[in-house]
Amino acid sequence: MKDLIRIRSLISAEVEALLNQQVRKEAFSSAVYLSMASWCNHNGYDYSSEYFFKQADEERQHQLKFFKYILDMGGNAISPEITGIKQEYNSFREVFEDALDQEINVTQSIQNIYARCLKEQDFVTNEFLNWFLKEQREEEYKARRALELFDVIGEEGTGRWQIDRHIGDIKYDSGA
Amino acid sequence: MVTTLIDTQQNTWSDVFSTKYGAIYQSDAERCWYVDFAGKVAKFDYRCLLKLKKAVYNVDIEAKLLQSTKDPDIEILFICACDHCYILSLLQIIALKDLLEGTFVMLQLNHILQDRLYRIAI
Repeated sequence: MKDLIRIRSLISAEVEALLNQQVRKEAFSSAVYLSMASWCNHNGYDYSSEYFFKQADEERQHQLKFFKYILDMGGNAISPEITGIKQEYNSFREVFEDALDQEINVTQSIQNIYARCLKEQDFVTNEFLNWFLKEQREEEYKARRALELFDVIGEEGTGRWQIDRHIGDIKYDSGA
Repeated sequence: MVTTLIDTQQNTWSDVFSTKYGAIYQSDAERCWYVDFAGKVAKFDYRCLLKLKKAVYNVDIEAKLLQSTKDPDIEILFICACDHCYILSLLQIIALKDLLEGTFVMLQLNHILQDRLYRIAI
């Protein structure tokens, strides 16, 4: 008896479901960043707003990478429904705390898929995920550094204005 | 595998999994499956079989069992872009779910055997 399912798809149904879940998470992240960009812009933090616009774009690109990978491997990619986006923040700092939380969730989720692929010996998907793991190093670093600025500069006086001005300068170019 | 039937086009059907209530066969030549259930034999390709599985798994059997309304416990399984639809009672849904679960386990087993015996060994 031919292995008809394997002929049609490289990834297993479980990995496909996890990857589709990741598509949804990346889409959710992108929408959250857009909401943060709006809040920052509305409250006069234009540099941070620009930073979050870029982040929203990046997350959208990540979503498409997962989406296309599922299709290329013969799976069924599902365009996700996104609801429940937080629109209001209590403070400038809270925006960046949420951004870091968001990135930590994404990292954990990708590691979870990686573990599942290792269990199934799906090395092709693991190789695909390697790019994302490296990307998460940068994303978490940037989000953490942004929060550090609140401690280093301080929010008193013109502190928030200074922090906003420096958000766009955060770069990650570690040789590691 | 165990049983083989001959259809009108002289294709061999392999018996994938069967229960008291139905059976699923695979046709290698046509690259599809035949589901013998609820009094009919229906042909499903790869996409439609996965859609059927999803449709059956999405029925909340427990909620239906607990429902105390007087509605008949009939479920219509309509699968988009597929030629067949099923109108089943709750007991039939449970039987079909059983059949599909067994089928996918056997297909997974077949995949492992193909890997171990042919793909890796050669």
